[in-house]
Amino acid sequence: MADVIFIGLSLSSILLLIALGLTIIYGAMGVINMAHGELVMIGAYTAVMTGIYLGFNLIAALPVAFLVAGGIGFLMERAVIRHLYGRLLDTLLATWGIAIILKQAIRLEFGLSFLDIHIDGLGTGLQNVAIPAFLNQPWSIGGIEVQSYRTFIILLTVFLALVTWFLMYRTSYGIQVRAIMRNADMAAACGIDVKKVSSLTFAYGSGLAGVAGVMMAGFKTVSPDMGSSLVVDGFLVVVVGGVGSLLGSVASAGFLGQVNGIFATYSNDILARAVVFGVVILIIMWRPQGLFSFKGR
Amino acid sequence: MLALSHIDSYYGASHILHDLSVEARGREILAVLGRNGVGKTTLLKTIMGLTDRCTGTLVLDAKDFSTAATFERARAGIGYVPQGRQIIPDFTIRENILMGGFAAANGGGRIPDTVAELFPYLMDNLDRPGGVLSGGQQQQLAIARALAMEPSILLMDEPTEGIQPNIVEQIEQTIVRLNKEFELTIILVEQNVRFAREAADSFVMMENGRVVEADAIDGLTDAIIAKHMTI
Repeated sequence: MADVIFIGLSLSSILLLIALGLTIIYGAMGVINMAHGELVMIGAYTAVMTGIYLGFNLIAALPVAFLVAGGIGFLMERAVIRHLYGRLLDTLLATWGIAIILKQAIRLEFGLSFLDIHIDGLGTGLQNVAIPAFLNQPWSIGGIEVQSYRTFIILLTVFLALVTWFLMYRTSYGIQVRAIMRNADMAAACGIDVKKVSSLTFAYGSGLAGVAGVMMAGFKTVSPDMGSSLVVDGFLVVVVGGVGSLLGSVASAGFLGQVNGIFATYSNDILARAVVFGVVILIIMWRPQGLFSFKGR
Repeated sequence: MLALSHIDSYYGASHILHDLSVEARGREILAVLGRNGVGKTTLLKTIMGLTDRCTGTLVLDAKDFSTAATFERARAGIGYVPQGRQIIPDFTIRENILMGGFAAANGGGRIPDTVAELFPYLMDNLDRPGGVLSGGQQQQLAIARALAMEPSILLMDEPTEGIQPNIVEQIEQTIVRLNKEFELTIILVEQNVRFAREAADSFVMMENGRVVEADAIDGLTDAIIAKHMTI
């Protein structure tokens, strides 16, 4: 049983890493970023590319992926999303379009494949990233054998969740983000530069997606399509947890990851997914605003 | 001094303010009067840059803010106490006040002494959530937040609306003190003619998004009120 819970925990961690970025972006800006999964994919490819060209291992790729995905997120916000605030459906379409562009850019090697130039590590093929040797050794704790890579994912997620909490609740930047989440007009009237804070928030959320991508590269094959379904998983977590609530995201990622892990262990992945969807439907019927949500939204 | 000239302001396709010119001289209280729905709140929102679109010029202390973003106007010294107070219920009183500090010249980060002097009750309850306060206390909190912006001019939208009568008097006294003692210019949207006559130095009367009368407060005759404010 303990190992099942442990698997559930590591599933929860990946879910949480994806959902954290989504929830602060959706909470602060009302933008459903359909390209969030593709930012995860970009993070995974950053791990592939830094591995091939710079000899970086997974851990060294983490900060690089944060910066690359964060930078792409920043540019997305500046170039496209900024002009579409308050238009939910338009941002949905626009970010979906960006998702397709990002996917194709990787698949077509930034268009160079038309010229028959190939970049090692990109393209339609599947890529694998090796886990550093010391994270490959299983170790036992109280008689239970646990995988060190999964442990690493969990610890990193806890660390990033704490960093995010600190940023949001203990810094001047955080109070600005939370003020914008609750009342953007009033935040602006209080002298908060909503556009600047929004760009930074978008970049930070995107950076978290990039980190999640590196983690996924360690146990999944990397391909241009790997991110497409993730935005759905991420949004399940956000909707169940309550928009803009960090605690809600943590709780719901933990819960949904466990449900997934338990059912996947005792039956199969497909049934587990169906059960997760069923649970999510029941929860949002019972609490449409999510488990944890500040009033008035 | 704040001067608006030939302002037209819109929400989406709705044209709310028409060729409107208003001037608030330094250290005066300017009362904005009129029936419901004539554009008084929109006037304040336009000054803050919170409507969808606006043409015309807005000049604050000889600087042009016609196209400035809302946060730049706030940082230039326009403090806003909105209708319905719009404090943030799940922020603590401290956080609600400090939120205004982002418009302050030094970047805020501390609660101004004026707030401590005017609202001792808030100072004693800094760590309670803003949402538990009564309507009158929430209004005080909204004023405290505006003061944290270190404004030179304060926009107040019906500050005594929906507040129990014994607190109304306190808030009225506060407004007068802010003007006389702390030398703030105040643009006051008000339905209460008695208080406008008591406190204001001049007034504008609005009808259908236009200014129909503007004068010193002594010129606010019963005839004008009968014509533009009785229903």
